Amino acid sequence: MSRPSVLFQLSDQSLAYGDHRVLDSISLKIHRGEKVALLGPSGAGKTTLLHLLYRQQPEQVALQPQSGGLVDLLSVYQNIFIGGLDRVGTLPALWNLLRPLAGHRRAIGALVQTLGLEDKLWQSVDRLSGGQRQRVAIGRALYRQQPVFLGDEPVSSIDPLQAELLLEHLLAQHETAVVSLHNRQLALNHFQRIIVMRDGRICCDAPASELSEQCLDAWYQQADASSSADPVSAPDEWALAQS
Amino acid sequence: MISSDPLGAVYASRSSARVLNGVCVLLVGLAVLAIWGADLALYPVDPWQELDRIGQGLLLPRWDEPVVLLQAVGQTVAFALLAVAISVPLGLLLSMFFHRRMVRVLCASVRSVHELFWGLIFMQLYGLSATTGLLAILVPFTGVFAKVFAEMFEQQSRDPLLTLAPRLNSLKRHLYTDVPQAWPALVSYTRYRFECALRSSAILGFIGLPTLGFHLETAFKQGQYAEAGALLWAFLLLIASIRFWVRPRLIPVYLLLAVWLLPETAGFSNGGYFWQFISQDIWPVALREGDLSGALDWYGYMLSEQVWPGLVQTLLLTQIALVLTGVIILLAYPLATQSMAGTFMRWPGRFLLLVLRSTPEMMLAFVFMLLCGPSGLPAVMALALHNGGLIAFLVANASDAEYGSRLSRPDDPKGLLRYAYIETPRRFPAMLAFLFYRWEVILRESAIMGILGIATLGFYIDSAFEEIRYDRAFLLIAVTALLNVLVDSLSRRLRRLAQTEPSRQQEMSCLKME
Amino acid sequence: MSFVRRMMALVLLALPAWAQAESFVFTAIPDADESRLQQRFGKVADYLTEQLGVEVKYIPVKSYAAAITAFRNNQVQLAWFGGLSGVQARRLVPGSEALAQGYEDQFFKSYIIANTRTGLAPSDSLSDALKGKTFTFGSKGSTSGRLMPEFYLREHFGAAPEAIFGRVGFSGDHSRTIAQVQAGAYEVGAVNYAVWEKELEEGKIDPSKVTVIWTTPTYPDYQWTVRGDVDAHFGAGFKEKVRAALLEMKAPDLLASFPRQSFVPASNDDYGPIEATARAIGLLDD
Repeated sequence: MSRPSVLFQLSDQSLAYGDHRVLDSISLKIHRGEKVALLGPSGAGKTTLLHLLYRQQPEQVALQPQSGGLVDLLSVYQNIFIGGLDRVGTLPALWNLLRPLAGHRRAIGALVQTLGLEDKLWQSVDRLSGGQRQRVAIGRALYRQQPVFLGDEPVSSIDPLQAELLLEHLLAQHETAVVSLHNRQLALNHFQRIIVMRDGRICCDAPASELSEQCLDAWYQQADASSSADPVSAPDEWALAQS
Repeated sequence: MISSDPLGAVYASRSSARVLNGVCVLLVGLAVLAIWGADLALYPVDPWQELDRIGQGLLLPRWDEPVVLLQAVGQTVAFALLAVAISVPLGLLLSMFFHRRMVRVLCASVRSVHELFWGLIFMQLYGLSATTGLLAILVPFTGVFAKVFAEMFEQQSRDPLLTLAPRLNSLKRHLYTDVPQAWPALVSYTRYRFECALRSSAILGFIGLPTLGFHLETAFKQGQYAEAGALLWAFLLLIASIRFWVRPRLIPVYLLLAVWLLPETAGFSNGGYFWQFISQDIWPVALREGDLSGALDWYGYMLSEQVWPGLVQTLLLTQIALVLTGVIILLAYPLATQSMAGTFMRWPGRFLLLVLRSTPEMMLAFVFMLLCGPSGLPAVMALALHNGGLIAFLVANASDAEYGSRLSRPDDPKGLLRYAYIETPRRFPAMLAFLFYRWEVILRESAIMGILGIATLGFYIDSAFEEIRYDRAFLLIAVTALLNVLVDSLSRRLRRLAQTEPSRQQEMSCLKME
Repeated sequence: MSFVRRMMALVLLALPAWAQAESFVFTAIPDADESRLQQRFGKVADYLTEQLGVEVKYIPVKSYAAAITAFRNNQVQLAWFGGLSGVQARRLVPGSEALAQGYEDQFFKSYIIANTRTGLAPSDSLSDALKGKTFTFGSKGSTSGRLMPEFYLREHFGAAPEAIFGRVGFSGDHSRTIAQVQAGAYEVGAVNYAVWEKELEEGKIDPSKVTVIWTTPTYPDYQWTVRGDVDAHFGAGFKEKVRAALLEMKAPDLLASFPRQSFVPASNDDYGPIEATARAIGLLDD
């Protein structure tokens, strides 16, 4: 096989809720080893697309949803540990809730250093700031130890410098990655392939080397214009894309 | 994967008031129809001598043996505490498998049998013993916990599940996501159920466990109202003071104490007649002997003489009691709220609700029977006051939890207008949902009607146990359980229709304030 | 699921099912005044311990059904039963035997009482004026509060109580029956004569409000019943020792608990009429 195998494949995929079309005949192939950035305004259908991809290969994917999926009452350690639950038997997993297992404690101790959370290890995550919570979510994805990473704006709340470092780390730890982002510069700097979505369609799918920040901005401006004209500028991301 | 569906929500919200009203009109209409069929009559009575004695007893309680009283209080708490401590983990386990129909049906059927009848059943197996008392509470409670916990889990965010390995077993998945997510709700619900367990534990005294109910029933039955008053006051105090003595840190100590306090079982060694009970006692003789036509006769007789008439009376009374409960809630809850009764004046209201929900229905029914003679009327009144008191208490708590929060405005109306325009519309959906939850409880409690000469299913079950006819008891209990499963699923559907699922989080956080 | 099963098994095993060392256990529900049972019958237990030379314990129960269950499960070996509950218990435990009855129980009777506002007058026979009234029995399993009154009502009217009266209730207790009829909640009731006499004496009854309108013929009632296997457990001749101890119970404070003036010998056959009656009104299956 000269070319790596296809990991995700969508052909003419559409998805609608009632009258509201979220994905509109999407066709897409992603191969093993690719690093793909997913751009586009809120409500363009990125989250839905990521979830569709997740459902194709749940066994190999570490998914980081936009909310992070953290469990508030558990500590940073436990929240990261959750990523490795499948590697632990039921009884040790029960015991771990009372007393952390030594091996995992060491591994997660090292991981939180990378995340810059070493002094928060035993704090419950409801006491953390948005950026800190997002780093915990990254920690969990890393601890899943899967070949594929699907991230829904995984570094949006983290300060720019650290965001870049962590994104780099995430990409290095995973063979394949599909990541939705808002920051166009990050996408151009770290990914080989960029997909831009609008109104549930893929409007651009090209190697990063062929794109520039200016040409990406153009897609956003069109989108912004349409959204400001929209009277229902609800915070809900699906509300925007009704055309 | 998609967390919200705004358009759907828009469609639903447009008509939710209308749907709610529709459900209410339907319920009230059914209740009005039921009045025609139900056994409600008013008899001329002359109760004042007896009521005078009851009143005096309540005002001048007397109890000569403090040790006996303390022992009874201790054992009431011990049974309740241990039963809850065991049924919570069991309920938690079952709630993790609640998506399976078998588990749901199992839980609905164990819930549907009144604690007293569980007590009578286990008494056949374990004699008059601590095991009997514990099982009688923890078996139905496990069913309740499983159902409610499962509903709480359903309301949690699904996002954490997406970050887990896809094929984790349920136990690990729940323990690391649903349980910690729902933890505050689980804890406050458990607290609330502990109060219920105290009531159940006390009432189990009616069939012979050495809890408060044992002495209470005797004293009340024999007209020793001063003693009955003392016991009732002790019980009210116990319930009212829960928040002062239930402290998380003390619970392990309490549990040890509880085990120590459990009554010794005298002279029971042979493990009961478990096998004989389930293989012979609960089946009619004809069936055991393979006499099919005889068995059919037996079932035919039971169906026409007890099951059907019992079913009809039970449903009629339940329906009326349900609607009357709603009326009581609407009348009583403002008395106990900060926003309408005032910070201090709500205490008499809260006290009234405490009395209503803590006095065993049997006693309320007796007092009302003295007032209006034996018929469905005192039964309906007793059920409605007891359950209305309970729900009004929850509703008042929800109101107080909101008082002074960001939902309140300085220009909110006061008094009656506040009641009509702010509080009642806000509380109504949750109130209706609580009412649906209580529906099955009201159904179960119709068993108290025996003293009123009203032949509900509970009346026949009680008779069957009294006459040592376990075959009849078993059939009737099975029918009751089936009815309960039906009512349960119907009320779930109505709740969905009216979209009145209360945010349990809200309900529970108000319970925590109590 | 296997994990769940293991957990369940563990929890159920851990439940306290403490068995006590072998002692002779009895139970009793007196027909009047059920308060302070443990204290009052504790004294009887002490007396029996002394007479029998084994440890004797008393456990209080709430209902005839509970007493029968305990007797059948061998949780109690000796019980002070009512006429009907004794018959039921002996049917369930083959070999068990009625040992002694109260002196009064040889010719027990029930009263039919009525609220005076009904205008029903005392009479030698049941009056047709009873028809359509509201009526309450005592407890469902009581001989004097239900079985015998129901039998005579059926015999006289040729119909079930539900067909004779406008409404039939079960007060659960003789004292309750009196209180309810006195308050007019029920117009007519059936009550144990001994309880009536006692409450009358104590001044709890207002004769201007409630009165006895009919007395049943006499019948045998309360009795001591012992399990057939006690000789095997406690040594040959134990049953006879128990009977002797019961018959020789003379101390007034012990007898007052029942309350009976003395105990006299009894046998299963004495209760044949009760059994026949219970069958006749459908309380016992064949």
